Amino acid sequence: MGLAEFIRDITGVESVEVEEGLLLPGGAIQKNQALTVTIGDGNLEGTHEMVLRCEASAKLSESQPLKHQFKLLEIAQRATITVPRPYWFCGDSSVIGQPFFLMERIKGESLGNRITRNGPQPAIAAELGRELAKIHAIGNLGDQLNFLEAIKVSPALDAITKYRRYLDELPEPHPVIEWTLRWLERKAPTSDEIVLCHRDFRTGNYMVHSKRLTGILDWEFAGWGDPHEDIAWFCARCWRFSAPEQKAGGIADRQSFYHAYEKHSGRSIDHQQINYWETMAHTRWAIIALQQSMRHRSKEEPNLELALIGRRLAELEYECLKLTGVL
Amino acid sequence: MPETYWGPLMRNLPNARELLGIASDTLRDTLATSPSERQRYSFALILSALGIAERELQGAPTPWPNEFSALKNLYTNQNGHPNRVTINGLNCQFANDLRIGMYDQPGSSQNFAHELLREDVLARLAEDNPRYQK
Repeated sequence: MGLAEFIRDITGVESVEVEEGLLLPGGAIQKNQALTVTIGDGNLEGTHEMVLRCEASAKLSESQPLKHQFKLLEIAQRATITVPRPYWFCGDSSVIGQPFFLMERIKGESLGNRITRNGPQPAIAAELGRELAKIHAIGNLGDQLNFLEAIKVSPALDAITKYRRYLDELPEPHPVIEWTLRWLERKAPTSDEIVLCHRDFRTGNYMVHSKRLTGILDWEFAGWGDPHEDIAWFCARCWRFSAPEQKAGGIADRQSFYHAYEKHSGRSIDHQQINYWETMAHTRWAIIALQQSMRHRSKEEPNLELALIGRRLAELEYECLKLTGVL
Repeated sequence: MPETYWGPLMRNLPNARELLGIASDTLRDTLATSPSERQRYSFALILSALGIAERELQGAPTPWPNEFSALKNLYTNQNGHPNRVTINGLNCQFANDLRIGMYDQPGSSQNFAHELLREDVLARLAEDNPRYQK
């Protein structure tokens, strides 16, 4: 069965044409391909710009399977969060050789370096603050999100246990990360509130078009957590790209983002917790960088981009040492 | 004839550093006129890899040449011998000790551990992304 036939079957329409486009940038973990789908009849009659999303050959242990990513996208759309419209999930590998889902291809720019080169964008930061507040308000909606791993001890201590396990799978020791994890363990907060976190809410994972936010992307790491985790991930130095002085995602000062988040969530941001979770953010990204690099080093997926991610480790460790007072 | 005179003749020229340099320059020139965005991205990645390789080849076998001796100092036992003999072995011990909290308390051991962590990161950063701190 081909893609057009799959769409015909799932929609019940007579005529479907699929034109395959380019692979979209920024897919180190997932592959995103542009498609133009023309439907000749039925409710969806017309031409639709879509994205076909499937997994790369080696995936990260933290990634949600595609089926769950699709579910998260549906839930986010129902919660009026600005996301690409999810169309259909297909778990049948006979259609294109592996599971995939189709979603709307939204207009805009997502590359972090390009977005942050445009100078301060406090209005976008405020939109993002509002969107994040909506994500954190989702809750478990009648157990629809039961596929997400439950918190065992606390978001921070669970993460530390997991990251140590990942480190133990690597062939070489990483003293800086060990130091930072120990620091995080000693200072772990008790999270008062557990919410649905996007867990990759950052510049590079949203689209901007005509100075407006057009979509929050990449829900593959979503899970239960402390709301400060998402706020700190967005603000962490490692996601400010070419504008490190703009501390909210390289696009604005913290206040623009914090103010919108606080206004729409009704929560007060605890600045000490942000410092803690920014340290966790750099540690987490360092571990993901090592895992990504191992995909190349193990010959599982030889790839220059993955290889180079491994050489970003020192930047992340530098931030860890700064945040823990060693530098 | 001085011994050093024979050094360059042991290999054909230009040497690895010069080749990496000219390869980077050529790629940079091509990048400036390349029409495809995807190609430009790939070229930028290649340039970055060449830059790291060039800096690594200029340096010592490890980014921080004193790493081994500093670790040996940290892990020399009462008999004056290091507990482990390879840099990897010593780093494994160091990482493990950090995990179990041996350097939690402020004092000379912690200061020494911090010094090791700082030197190591700064040396690797200088190799991998020397512009980062600027």
